[in-house]
This record gives sequence, structure tokens and C-alpha cells, in this order.
Amino acid sequence: MSTRSLAAWSASGLVIALSTSNPVYRAVVLLCALNLLLARGRRGSGTRLLLVGIGIAALIATLLTLFLSHTGQHVLVRLPAGIPVIGGPLTLEALSFGLATGLGIAAALLAVAPLTLISQPHELVDALPAPLARTGAAVGAALNLIPGTLRSAAEIRDAQRMRGWRARRVVDWPAVAVPVVLTAIEGSMTLAEAMESRGYGTRARTHFGIQGWARHDTLVSVTALLGAAGFLALVATGAAPGWFPFPALSAPRISVPALLCCALLAVPSLRVSR
Amino acid sequence: MAVLSLAGLHYTYPGTADRALDGVDLEIGPGLTLLTGASGSGKSTLLRVCNGLIPHFHGGVIGGSARVQGRDVFRTPTRELARDVGFVFQDPELQAVYPTVERDAAFGLENLGVPRGEMLRRVGDALEICGITHLRSRAVGTLSGGERQRLALAGVLAMRPCLLVLDEPFSQLDPAGSAALLSALEAAVRSGTTALVSEHRHHLVRQRADRCLVMGRGRVTACAPDVPVEAASRAVSRGAGVTPQLSWCLHRVSAGPAGVAVLHDLDLAGGAGEVVALTGANGSGKTTLLRTIAGLLSPLSGSVERRPGRIAYLPQNPSALLHRATVRSEIAWTLRRTGSAGRADAALEELGLTAVADRDPRDLSTGQRQRAALASVLAGDPSLVLLDEPTRGMDAAARAALTAAVARIAERGGSAVVATHDLQLVAAVATRVVDLMDGRACERPALATVAR
Repeated sequence: MSTRSLAAWSASGLVIALSTSNPVYRAVVLLCALNLLLARGRRGSGTRLLLVGIGIAALIATLLTLFLSHTGQHVLVRLPAGIPVIGGPLTLEALSFGLATGLGIAAALLAVAPLTLISQPHELVDALPAPLARTGAAVGAALNLIPGTLRSAAEIRDAQRMRGWRARRVVDWPAVAVPVVLTAIEGSMTLAEAMESRGYGTRARTHFGIQGWARHDTLVSVTALLGAAGFLALVATGAAPGWFPFPALSAPRISVPALLCCALLAVPSLRVSR
Repeated sequence: MAVLSLAGLHYTYPGTADRALDGVDLEIGPGLTLLTGASGSGKSTLLRVCNGLIPHFHGGVIGGSARVQGRDVFRTPTRELARDVGFVFQDPELQAVYPTVERDAAFGLENLGVPRGEMLRRVGDALEICGITHLRSRAVGTLSGGERQRLALAGVLAMRPCLLVLDEPFSQLDPAGSAALLSALEAAVRSGTTALVSEHRHHLVRQRADRCLVMGRGRVTACAPDVPVEAASRAVSRGAGVTPQLSWCLHRVSAGPAGVAVLHDLDLAGGAGEVVALTGANGSGKTTLLRTIAGLLSPLSGSVERRPGRIAYLPQNPSALLHRATVRSEIAWTLRRTGSAGRADAALEELGLTAVADRDPRDLSTGQRQRAALASVLAGDPSLVLLDEPTRGMDAAARAALTAAVARIAERGGSAVVATHDLQLVAAVATRVVDLMDGRACERPALATVAR
């Protein structure tokens, strides 16, 4: 799957997730993204870690809404009013809205996650349009420095320990922090020298790694962009209403055309599972 | 016709008063030219003039003239000179831009706007010359130091420069990696590329070089040098037949980073007064063994014993230690932290650093930095000294100082373990040689190693 078609897919998913408050549509985006990640994610790319992180973010959003919004007709529990900020009624409506907010955050994050979990960083750089190619190469090179910097930080800490360094007070830390920062700067300078020496910045770059563009990529891009455009149109005309549980909880209204627009995001996953 | 012409070249780094280059007159034609000289003599500076990194990248004051293939270096940006001058840096880890071999080798060609079809051909040719065609799909992070350095060479060869400049390319390579890189370099020279190589371990290149230049105090002082080779076998047989008091001991130790064993069931010990040289290819486990002896890495199984006393450890990257404003304060910091009674001046003198005692260690040349780091580590009479590739970037004088310092530690009853690819250093200091291969140790007679 081409990085550019993946980018089109991610942008469409993000637009849908952020343009509605209806949890049903958000859930469809989330499921499509999850399916794509599980089908196409690179092994060892941190999918599990990301899912845990997203789960925590969604949980925090839910709890914040539950504890801070004391509005709604169905009271689940009433905290003593003397407790600052969170004291008062905790309502079913607040819980529902919190869940919908958490779902929105999770759907938006998962929509863009395939860009980093399916594509390699250099594929993203290659996918950038020509005016951004030089900047992209510089960013990609800088990203390459991160593992080395982390390694050198551990090495520096160990080397200083052998010279009697112990992390007892704040004033002890410069013995490690200073060489870590200076080593990272020197590494960056060397890399910059190496890039300059290899002609970086000369003229319009060509690309060694031409990314293939198959019919499937056209299908994915067109369906995703059509889905997003259609969904936006339905939202704008009021045909795909959002959802607001206050003051009384009600079930979200579902528009079949809007649901179909969201479901177009499942196209890349359908191809994989075929 | 000369590919590189320098006339009356002088250069001063920004913020300094002394000239790093002071009237260099030089013409270099086709073939392989070796550039040697003491640390701080101006070799790296001279090389950076060849592709315009000096003055365009580093700034400073420059005068005289420098031309590559007739192009004025002072007026042509480095990225434009990249068509004519290929530059390979000392540290192979800091040159890769892309994460895969083939992709990284093509980086320069992409910058030059070479069409993709032509790029494929040139990358293929360059990888073949460097003998790494089989690695073309590999991740750069999985390559050994020698493979990475050959990749760096392939990256610049693909750009088909007429002048190839290499700054200490062998300093981090094991003998196999060095041999492979040298073969690749020779192949490039045979194909018509002019090569200028700066290297302290000049014995690797000298016999293959068409000419040799020596630098001193910012000038080219000689052509065809008679550089002394340190082959003292003074220490080789010392201690033979004597069972010294144990300084450190490993019992059936398996160890490795992140729970993955690199060393397997190792039984090894070192005694007081012994200098053990650890040899073996890149990735054979030398650093892991040093870290295990130091106590920085806990063994996965087995046990490690150490005689009480301070342990000094010099990591591969000397910059890892340097954080103070002057060399003197760097040494004083170790003395203070370890509660040692020694004097900073004594350590400075022992390693020939008195002249740079009040300079920022990070402003020093690579070899001087290495000595500053060594002095910082050795200050205060450690009982066990662990050195990881200590001669990286060192000139002859620094090596002599290192050799003497290690010998003094042994004479005082201390113990040293030195991980190195440098067989001259092994010959000069080792009382025992332990070769590591696939995480297992094989003791060799020291003299046999020297003769290899």
C-alpha cells in the first residue's frame, strides 16, 4: 500500500472523526483503523504500546468529563459537595458524553497511526511533495540520530559512574547531561557535514525509492476521500446529525448514507482480508 | 594534472588566534596519497578544505588558494563540490541518512538529481566495488563498523567523484573490516579515482600508497615519511610462568545487553601486574566483557569477582567523559569524586597534556581528546583499568604515552584489560592476549598475535 494512499486514508479518517460528535460514526472510524493496523502494522512497530496509550488517553477524557460535568437528569452517584471541583452529582449523561469524547480521541489518533505504524519514516519522507523534500530528508536524518543519542546517554551515565559520579542531587546531573547534550550536538554537526558533503541542498532532488502506485491505491484514496467529502456534506446539510446527551440521555440518530461514507474507510482492510 | 592544488593555504578557526593551517603548498595527482602527522597537526582541517567544509561550513579566516579540478574551493559551496569530491568521515555511525543500505548509498545521487535508472546502475556499481552487494537490502543499524564504513565509501563512490577524501577511516575497524575497506579503496583508485587518506594507523595503508605526506603544526613537513612503528615487545613475556594475585575473575559467565547472551560460559581471570589484551572482530563481545568486569553489566549467569579498589573504565567514545571547562578540571573532578590523593598536574604530565591543560577538552583534536579522557580515567591510581579501543584517533606520541601509562599501572601491581583492534598496541603492552570469537574466549600466546 502506497504511503500517499495511506496518507489520503488517514486524512479522511481524521476529518470524519473530528467533524462529528456522534459516537456511532466515530466507532466505525475506530474499527476501520484498528482493523487496518492489525492487518498491516509492522511487527515490533509499537502497535501494542500505542493502543495502550490511546486507551489511557480515552479513559482520562471519560473520567474528566464524568467528574467535572455535573449536568444530567440520571444521577449515578452523588459525591459530597465539599470536595473541591469533583463534588456533586455524577450523571449517566456525563459518563456517556465522556465515553463519546474518549471514543473521538481514540478514533482520531488511530486514524493517523497507520502513517507511522505501517510506513517506514523514510517512506513518509519520500511521499512528501517536491517543495518539502529537502526538509523531509533533514527531518528523517535527524530522526536517525535518536537511537544513537539514547545509547550514548546510557554509555555516558555508566562512564561517569565509574569516575565516582552518583545521582544524589540536582547539581550532580550536569556531569551526565552536559556530555549527552554536547555529544548529540556534535553528532548532529557531523551528520550535517556528511549530508552537505554528499550534495544535500544542491537542486531539486530525485528519488531512488519510487513508491509503487497500484490500482488498489487509487481505489483506497478515491473511496476514502469520497467518504470524507460525502460525510462533510451530510454534516453540513444536517443530514448526519451529531449527538449531545444533555440534558437528557437519548440514543444517537444514525443516517445510513453517513454510515456508508464512514464504512468506505474499510476498503483497505477488505483488500487485506480477501 | 593535479586534481587538488593548494598554494599558500592558511586557515584559522573562528574564535582562535593560532593558525590550524599555516602555509600549505601541495599538489595531489592520481593514485593513493597517505596523510599522517601528530594529533592536532592539521590533517582533518586540511581534508575539510578539499571539499569546502572549511570555510563554508565551519567559517573562520582562510587565505591562499585551493582548487579541485580547477574549481576554486573558496567560491564553490560544498554541496556543489560534492560532484568532484567524496568525503568519508571517521565515525561510520554518524554518516548514514537512510535506514537501509541501498537507500543510503543513493542519498548523494538523489541530491545531485540523477535520474532513477542511472541511480540504480551507479548504486549497484558502488556496492560491488565496496564488496557489499549482498547487504543492499539490509538495515544500516544491523551492519558492523566495517560494513558501515564500506557503505559510507559506496555512498560517495556512487557520486563518481574525481577526488576521494577519507578521514581516519580505519580507526574503528577490526582487521577484517580494515582489509575489506582497503580493498574497496584500492579498487576505486584503480578505476581512476584520486584518493587522499588521513590515518594514524598508517601501516595499514602505507604499503599501498603512491605517496605519503606528513603534517606538523599546520604544514606539510615531509613527503615519504619514515614513521616509527611501535613494535616494542617489552611486555610480552613479562609475567610468564608466574601466577599473580587475582585482580578479577569470571566464573562461567554468560552476559549480554537486554538479556541476550553475547558471552557464553566464560571462565577468565586477570592478575595483578597483568595487561590482558582482548582482540576479536567487531561485535565479538569485547565491550560486553569489559562492562561485565567493570560491574556495569550484571551477568546473566555465573559470577564475577574483583579485588577491592577503584576501577577505571574508558569507553569507546572519549567524549562520553568530558564535561568540564578545562582538561585540568576534568582530571581534578575524578580525583575529587573518587577521593583519590593524586595531583591533576601529575596526570597531565604523564599523558603529555600539560600544554593543553587549561583548554576546553572538546576543542581538542580527536587524539588529544582521547588522551584527556584517558588522563581523567587513570587519575588517582586505579587498581583495575579497563580500556575500550583506547588508540582510536591517537597519533604516535599519544600511543607512546598510553603504552607507558599502562606499563606503569602494571608495574605498580595494578591490572589492565584492553579491548583493541590495534595489534601494535597489543604487541607493546599485553602480557596476555585473549581472542573473543562468537562470545567465547581463546587464549593466545602474545608473541603469536604480534607476528600475525
